[in-house]
Amino acid sequence: MNRRLRNALEGLTNPDVERRRRAMEPFVRATFGMFTRYLYRYLGNEVECEDVLEDVYADIWENPDRLRNVTTEKQLLRTVYLYYMRKRLREVYRRLNRNLYLSQTHMKNLVAPELGVLETMSQSELRQALHRTLGRLKARERRAIELWMEGMSNRAIANDLNTTVGAVKMLEFRTMLKLRKMLHDYCPED
Amino acid sequence: MIIVLKISYVFLWEQETMPGTNREIHELLVDYTGALRDGHIPVFLKSLTREEAHRMASSQEFWDATETARILNGAGFADKAVPPNMSLFISRVDAEIASRLKKAKVSPRAKRRTQPEPETRTERKAERSI
Repeated sequence: MNRRLRNALEGLTNPDVERRRRAMEPFVRATFGMFTRYLYRYLGNEVECEDVLEDVYADIWENPDRLRNVTTEKQLLRTVYLYYMRKRLREVYRRLNRNLYLSQTHMKNLVAPELGVLETMSQSELRQALHRTLGRLKARERRAIELWMEGMSNRAIANDLNTTVGAVKMLEFRTMLKLRKMLHDYCPED
Repeated sequence: MIIVLKISYVFLWEQETMPGTNREIHELLVDYTGALRDGHIPVFLKSLTREEAHRMASSQEFWDATETARILNGAGFADKAVPPNMSLFISRVDAEIASRLKKAKVSPRAKRRTQPEPETRTERKAERSI
């Protein structure tokens, strides 16, 4: 953890509310990028990430006790996700859920799931793990995932692979399951 | 005769307006990952039918694959997210904090007066009966 973030965290855990309020600016500056990248995994949308983060930071200001013993960036991300982000993430689509067929529990699992081993990895660790596991896939599977990650539609992927959209969907589904298994093998739980 | 016509009309209307109903689990996953990537999860959630929601809920493979979808979304697109105006964002956070401070300073009497309206009909009914 860099010095700037450590100092900001110290200010945040101060019992005086005004001091904590002043400490919020350096804390936001030091953590915004990291938190947005993390939230983006769940929301896929910058605007919603900002809205959620606004509440998350206010929650941290209001009750910063959970951050008292944080020493590393990974620990900070994990703590913030478990005690601040998750609650807010679950509220994002709660109102929408009144008219949906998906139950509240499944909605929670979809929007803000339990923290798996892969989800605690930092962005750079993830990229490294993905790079290695993608290399172990079959050429067709790897191509489908790479094209998907470039933002291409299923039809475009099907055109590239000379197959049908239905076959691409099945290929992506199977590959994602395979990738998950490979990633878990690559970074086993502690 | 009219009933038959009506039923066939409804059937045709459903066919035309909801082509994606009764999707299989792999199609549901692909649609979810697409929605996650493009940032329109609510559209995906609204498109679910009762059967599809049930299918999703009971498939462990679907939940396993969503984890990978999130990872891919984070690794592929999170860095491309457009950063906001930082000063503006910090002032938004500060305004939220100020509003919470203000709320905390409101006296308990005023707090009681400004209790939120009951949201559902049942809550309203229950309140009236008290």
